[in-house]
Amino acid sequence: MDKHQSMNQIIDSMKYDLYLLAINHDINTKTFLLGQLSWKLQTLEQLNNNLKKVKLPKRTVEENERLFTVEELSNFNGKNGVPAYIAVNNTVYDVTNNAAWAAATHFGLSAGRNLTNEFATCHNGQLEILQQLVIVGRLIN
Amino acid sequence: MKKPILLPPERVSSHIIASRLVEATASQISQNRKKKMNLVWLELNGCSGNIISMMNGENPDFEYMLTSMIRLVYSNSLMVSEGEQAIEKLYKLLKSDEEFILAVEGAVATKNNGRYNIIGRYNDDLVTGLELVKKLEGKAKYVVAVGACAVDGGVSAAHLNPSQSVGVQNVLARKVIKLTGCPVHPAWFIGTLAHLISYGEPQLDDTDRPLLFYSTLIHDRCPRRTFFDKGIFAKKLGDKECLFKLGCRGPVTRTDCATRQWNGHTSWPIGANTPCIGCAQFGFPDRMEPFVSFDTLGDDKK
Repeated sequence: MDKHQSMNQIIDSMKYDLYLLAINHDINTKTFLLGQLSWKLQTLEQLNNNLKKVKLPKRTVEENERLFTVEELSNFNGKNGVPAYIAVNNTVYDVTNNAAWAAATHFGLSAGRNLTNEFATCHNGQLEILQQLVIVGRLIN
Repeated sequence: MKKPILLPPERVSSHIIASRLVEATASQISQNRKKKMNLVWLELNGCSGNIISMMNGENPDFEYMLTSMIRLVYSNSLMVSEGEQAIEKLYKLLKSDEEFILAVEGAVATKNNGRYNIIGRYNDDLVTGLELVKKLEGKAKYVVAVGACAVDGGVSAAHLNPSQSVGVQNVLARKVIKLTGCPVHPAWFIGTLAHLISYGEPQLDDTDRPLLFYSTLIHDRCPRRTFFDKGIFAKKLGDKECLFKLGCRGPVTRTDCATRQWNGHTSWPIGANTPCIGCAQFGFPDRMEPFVSFDTLGDDKK
């Protein structure tokens, strides 16, 4: 099923939820439906973001931009109060307080590494994930 | 960064919804509008944790499920028959045309054609878990994988995996409803069962988990969420703040633990001051490790 189809499906089910919300007087049902609606809205927003063709901005080495070698990056592993940094496509991001990176680990991965391949395998082009992160510099080979 | 959507306060949790479901099912059965469904509970490569968890069920409890909702055909832990007599009941069910729901707990060991998990003997032949689950799938009306091991191998398939264990879906071609969790909350299973009997398949997410129980991130309902938003973190187990720096997996785990809680709404991991270890997340335990880290905050920040 493509994204358009699944979006339409969600919209249809939201319409139905609204209808149920209008005809139901039971407070329990209403609360449940409200929860369903806001969850579906979130999913819809996410799908909508995916649809936008986001291109990774071509980043040139800016003046004063911090440069990291692989070794330098490995120091930023989130341990003992140092920040947690990761690199994707040569851009270094700060994940210290990112919710999905509790204790500087994420689904078996640890911070301080170049995770370009891992990102490509699991998040298949979902660049909006990267856009939410704070950029701290650039990885040099 | 986008502002997160705030959900309305869940005054009546899905706890209430699950018990309403069960009441509806029981009344339909008592009015003879629905037949009691046969249930086969297959226990493969696991620790029996899910059946033990099920016994902690409340509203409804386990006894109610057994007496009013289903006819338990086979469960090696609970049935009176043993040995070949027990297995015989399964084969009898297979030969009949009766409908049944197949619930599988534990992973399927695949090494040496399943010989790492022998679950019985029939006509002097050893019966493997792999063999039995494949035999039953064709006739089952629904297949429900109960717990982390049954869903994707879980602890049984943790790193090294000597028995080459896999989830039930890996050996079956049909759709398997997946209830993740180590163990599964009794209400998640009994609620799903009630839905299957009364209304058929519940609405599932893209990984085949019932949305009724697995739609909300623990992080979004966490009573300590304000601590996270303000960046106030617990430094050790037992602290009352956000457990994020200790490795809490609440932000990546979708269950209703925060509102439903465990052991009859007594408490839950975060309520007991320990981080969520993401037991209801695919890839548990390997991909959720380390379960707790004490080395993230430096000494000067303590």
